[in-house]
Parts: sequence; structure tokens; C-alpha cells
Amino acid sequence: MSGMTAARAQPPPLRRDREGALLGGVCAGLGRRLGIDPIIVRVAFIAAAAAGGTGLVAYALAWALLPAEGEARGPVLRVPGGRDSLSVAAGIGMLVLALLLLFRQWGLWVGDALVWPVVLAAAGGGLIWRQSARAADPAPARDAPARPGGRSALGRAALGVALVVGAALIFLYFNDALGPARDVLLPVVVVLVAGTLILAPWWIRLVRGLADERAERIRSQERAELAAHLHDSVLQTLALMQRRAGDPREVAGLARRQERELRAWLNGGRPIAERGTLAAALELAAAEVEEAHAVPVDVVTVGDAALDGDAEALLAAAREAMVNAAKFGRGAVSVYAGVDEQEVEVFVRDRGPGFDVDDVPADRRGLRESIVGRMRRHGGTAEIRSVAGEGTEVELRMRRA
Amino acid sequence: MSRRGFDPASLVAGIAVSALGVVLLLDQVDAIDLGFGYLAPALLAVVGSILLAVGLTGRR
Repeated sequence: MSGMTAARAQPPPLRRDREGALLGGVCAGLGRRLGIDPIIVRVAFIAAAAAGGTGLVAYALAWALLPAEGEARGPVLRVPGGRDSLSVAAGIGMLVLALLLLFRQWGLWVGDALVWPVVLAAAGGGLIWRQSARAADPAPARDAPARPGGRSALGRAALGVALVVGAALIFLYFNDALGPARDVLLPVVVVLVAGTLILAPWWIRLVRGLADERAERIRSQERAELAAHLHDSVLQTLALMQRRAGDPREVAGLARRQERELRAWLNGGRPIAERGTLAAALELAAAEVEEAHAVPVDVVTVGDAALDGDAEALLAAAREAMVNAAKFGRGAVSVYAGVDEQEVEVFVRDRGPGFDVDDVPADRRGLRESIVGRMRRHGGTAEIRSVAGEGTEVELRMRRA
Repeated sequence: MSRRGFDPASLVAGIAVSALGVVLLLDQVDAIDLGFGYLAPALLAVVGSILLAVGLTGRR
């Protein structure tokens, strides 16, 4: 047993972590080995690099000597998307600018005419490179944040092109080469402008026509998809209900199941069983109880949490409470689950005859063990309130890890 | 009771701002001569490192 514990406590071997890498994966690997956030290691390396360059030497040595692990992804693809990428880009830009100003102050400078155009061209090239790298990434993670829209991607690419062109113009201007270049470029620009003015109306009409056609094609695909889904689900269920019209309980069960499926589909979610979260599991449990006892179980959830060990215990207790409510209550059972950062709470209510909690025999394990005992063993609480003639409410609470 | 984990971006921001404070203090007591040529890169480096840390840790 102790051997097992020791084996489990063994830290991972020291390797370059290419999956978490920003450059060579040295800091990510060290962070994993030491059990700390890689950014702390990165800060330490940057500080050591700033203080005499030892950080750079150490990093280069570690890069050369440490074996790599994991699937490599380009550093560009590791930078987070959305507003975070803007922060990263602005941060890198400011650090590079600070370094350049410092070199200029120290006199380590080859001249404004060369450095600033190169900086602008590098920034523009970086933007274009990043756009093309992201566009070429064939398999983004399923849960990754949505890619920015095509228009903003086009805007970034255009900004990159403008920066590179601007850098070229500045370089030509500083080197007195803009005059001859202007003599060559001016006729070309005039011809291009004239051509654009002549062809613009046709081009605009063509683009609009293509956009309309694309929109119509998308609408038609959506209609076909909707029709197929309605046929496979609602129409089939209606046909089944007509055949089973003599059995009201089964008809009600079929209608409830179809309602659940339709609601999940309308909400755009994945099938419940695939989601693997507490809210989905509660809905699944409610559907099972509903089917087994032919009693409607309405579930309302606010927030959601991963289905870990404690959440599974809470789910099992809630399921037991639903079964009790369906067996001993009257009419529909209502389940409310609320999840916030600190706590998960679940209420299961029925409108049954109610009972005296203290009168429950000791051998009735459903209430004492499956609900109260289970919640207590996992650090949660279960409270049962029952009023004769009005119904029963089971309140389950569990702190989140 | 709220449980907040370790925030690397705050650590970087704290170190950067503290370092800038030390440099300004040294300038104030005439231990170093901090002209605009050095102050501008220092300010840019502080803001840049904070932005980089915030972006890389995905704080927002």
C-alpha cells in the first residue's frame, strides 16, 4: 500500500513539454516537473536572461539536452485566441519596443532608417503568418473557443499587409528611393484605379449574387435538416402514439420523452448522455425515473458542474429522492438544481400525502443511507421537510471542491 | 467562503510594478540618473509584461 502511495506521489520525469510549449517547452516541462505554473518558470528565465543573459544560456542548454515529449504545435498556435491574443500581441510588442529603445539609448543601433521599417514589417508579417497558421490548423479542439469571424480575420490580414507595405514605403523614403519608385508605381496605380472604376458595378453585382446564392443554399440545407429531424423524431412519435392510443400512461410517457428530446434539440445542446455534466445527468436520471414510474419529473437547472465523485454521490441521492417522490407522491415531481462557484444545491419536491420523518423505520435504508448517509459521507448535507397533506421536499447541498 | 487559486498574472504584475518602484526610488535618492531614454523603455516593459502575463494565463 505504501509502495503504491509512493509510486503515485512520484513527480513526472523531466522532459520538454511540447504540448504546453510557447517556444521549446523547457519552462512547461520544468513547471510540470516541479508542480508549479509554467509562467513562474518563464518569469524566472526572463529575469535570469535580463540579469546577464544566464537565463538564455540555461534555456538553450535545457532545450538541447532535455528529451521532448508530446505532440509539437507551432508556437503561434499556442497563443490563446480572442481578446487574450490581443493582450499577448500588445505585451510582446511593448517588450520588443522597450528593448529596441534601450539598445538605441546604449548606441547599439544600426539606424532609424533600417530598424523601424524592419520592426513594422515583422509586425505585419507576424499578423499574416498567424492568420495563415490558424486558417491551416485542420482540427481545432471541440471545446476550443470559437474562431473569430471571417471579417475580423480579413481585417487582421489587411492590417498585416498594410504594415508590410508601410514598412517598405518608409524604408524607400529613408533611403531616398521613393522618387524613382513613385515614377514606376504611379502609372500602375492610375491604370488600376481606372480599371476598378470600370469593373466595379459588375464586380459588386457578382459578389451580391454569390452571397444571395450562398444564403439561399444555407436556408435550403437548414430546411432539409429540420424536416429530417422532425420526421425522425416528432412524426415517428406521433405515429407511435396513434398506435398506442388505448394506453394513456404510455402515450403520456412517449409525449414526455419526445418533449425532452425536442427541448434539448431546440436549445442546441448535444444529446444529454454525451455531455457528462451534473445537469445532463440529472435530466437523464429524471427521464429514467419518469419512464420507470410513469410520473412526470420536471427538471430546472441553473448553472452546471463536471460530474466528479462528489457530484456523482449528489446525483445518486437526488435520483433516490426522485424515485421516492415518484413512488409515494401524487402528480408531477419537480427538481431544481442550482450550481455556483461554492456550492451545488438540489431540491426534489412532490405534492404527496407527506410523512413524519421521525417515524420512518430504521430498516428503511432508502432515506437514511441512500440519501442522508451518502450525502454525509461525501461532505454534503441532506434535509427532508415533509408536511402532511402538502408534500415533501428533499434539500441536498454539497460544497464544490 | 470563496476559494481563489494562485494567479500568475498578479504575481508578474506585482513583480513588474515593484521593480519599477525600486528604480524610481533609486532615481529619487540620486543613486541612479533616470532620464526619459531609460524611463520610457522601463514603463513599456512593465505594461508589456503585465499584458503578456494576463494574455497567457487567460485571465479574462
